[in-house]
Amino acid sequence: MTAATLFQPRRSSKILRNVGFVALPLLVLVWSLADLTLGRELLEWIPYLASGFAMNILIALCAMVLGTLVGVLFGILELVPYRLLRYPVVAYVQIFRNAPHLVLIFATTYIFPFEIVVFGNYLPFPDWVKAVIGLAIPASAYIAEITRGAILSIPTTQWEAAKGLGFSRNQTLRRIILPQCLRRSLPPWMNVAASITMGTALASLVGVHELLHAATDASTAVRRLDFTVIAYIVVMAAFFTLCYPIARLTRRLERRFNAA
Amino acid sequence: MQDINLTDLFVSLTGRLGLNYEFLATGYEAQIWRDGFITTLYLIALLIPVSLVAGLLFAACLTSGRVWLSTPVRAFVEITRNTPTLVQLMFSFLVLNTFVSDLVGGAQNNPLSPFFWVVAVVGLHIAALHAEAIRAGIEAVPASTVEAARGVGFSQLQILQYVQVPLAFRASLPAIVNNLINLVKLTTVGNAIAVSEITYASIMVWTQRDNVVSMMIVILAFFSLINLVVARIGLWVERRLAVPGYGL
Repeated sequence: MTAATLFQPRRSSKILRNVGFVALPLLVLVWSLADLTLGRELLEWIPYLASGFAMNILIALCAMVLGTLVGVLFGILELVPYRLLRYPVVAYVQIFRNAPHLVLIFATTYIFPFEIVVFGNYLPFPDWVKAVIGLAIPASAYIAEITRGAILSIPTTQWEAAKGLGFSRNQTLRRIILPQCLRRSLPPWMNVAASITMGTALASLVGVHELLHAATDASTAVRRLDFTVIAYIVVMAAFFTLCYPIARLTRRLERRFNAA
Repeated sequence: MQDINLTDLFVSLTGRLGLNYEFLATGYEAQIWRDGFITTLYLIALLIPVSLVAGLLFAACLTSGRVWLSTPVRAFVEITRNTPTLVQLMFSFLVLNTFVSDLVGGAQNNPLSPFFWVVAVVGLHIAALHAEAIRAGIEAVPASTVEAARGVGFSQLQILQYVQVPLAFRASLPAIVNNLINLVKLTTVGNAIAVSEITYASIMVWTQRDNVVSMMIVILAFFSLINLVVARIGLWVERRLAVPGYGL
């Protein structure tokens, strides 16, 4: 076996992997150039689809920020020595980690009121905020488990050494343990981020104006089969070009951390 | 008779807690709801073997070393993993289903039901995740073991069948169980194309009764229970299959 035959498949798979970044958008572009009437139609609808996708990104960002804040807190609380505090948090994590995202989005949409009263003023409570909460709940449960796992992966001797140096439990956690957890929990956190980003498509089922909803609107308005096909390919391309780089980066970080 | 009394007792007890399960006493809505549970369980029971078989096939293609076999599968796996399942489902149901209808001449001749599309899309989605897990497991089989098998005179397929897959399956079992829990959760997307699984059935009930909180408690408990059972069975299989001296 020569070096050339050894490296041949490797190089081709590398090209393939990098093609992944542009393959779907390229397909859309080539098709709309090949059939110009279709291309013109699509061009007209692109701003509408883009406004939908902006909503996806907004929901994903808000849900991840909220989910991370709550999740890290709950991950720490899962390890506190007081049972009264620990058991409810463990129950929360177990229930919502096992619950389908769609069910939670339905729950928040139908249980929360459509407006809230603050000091006599009626504030609207829009659907997309409910979807944010519906996705932040499972995100917080996953992130709580990730945080707990990361804290437990730090050797106990570090806690003992910090105690010996006069750090309190709180100080040890904040200044010694958590900074190390940051690095360890980054790849799984990115997996959750990708999964939540893809979960935002579920918000279309409760009437939030996001990308999938926009594509359905567009395809019912245009009523052309080839337009329907290309509209859904655009949806796939949008999610793919957002999530594929995250997945690639996650794998690279995992490999690097495993090697270290 | 006993059964009806128990139902009434349950309804009145939960009613005192502020929960509304009155629909259980009616025939029609209770029937829809019961069918919803059964449909979800049926979907899960059908999807687990489908996803495992397809995942194994994908993994075999990915590790075959033949570019014409591994490239399309790799592309499929990446697209499946990085796009929302709901979008795949809508694409399949609205686009592929229409093509099939055109092919057989009209929607009335189309044998493919929404149920079929849920099984196909969710099954292949989870199969892609299984394939990644099994591939990692196959690559983790020590090269010396494979060489020894080749030295004994096993063919490529025999090595896969008797050496690589049994070891890889054990190594990737935790990841596979994780995927199966995802599978249980993903069955709810069937709701989007009117497959009457549990969330769809519950929506039918709560639009009439306005008892979302009561329904949600049951749905969450139901999914927690199923996932607990899946995780337990996975753990049991893992223990049963554990090879002494190999892995943890």
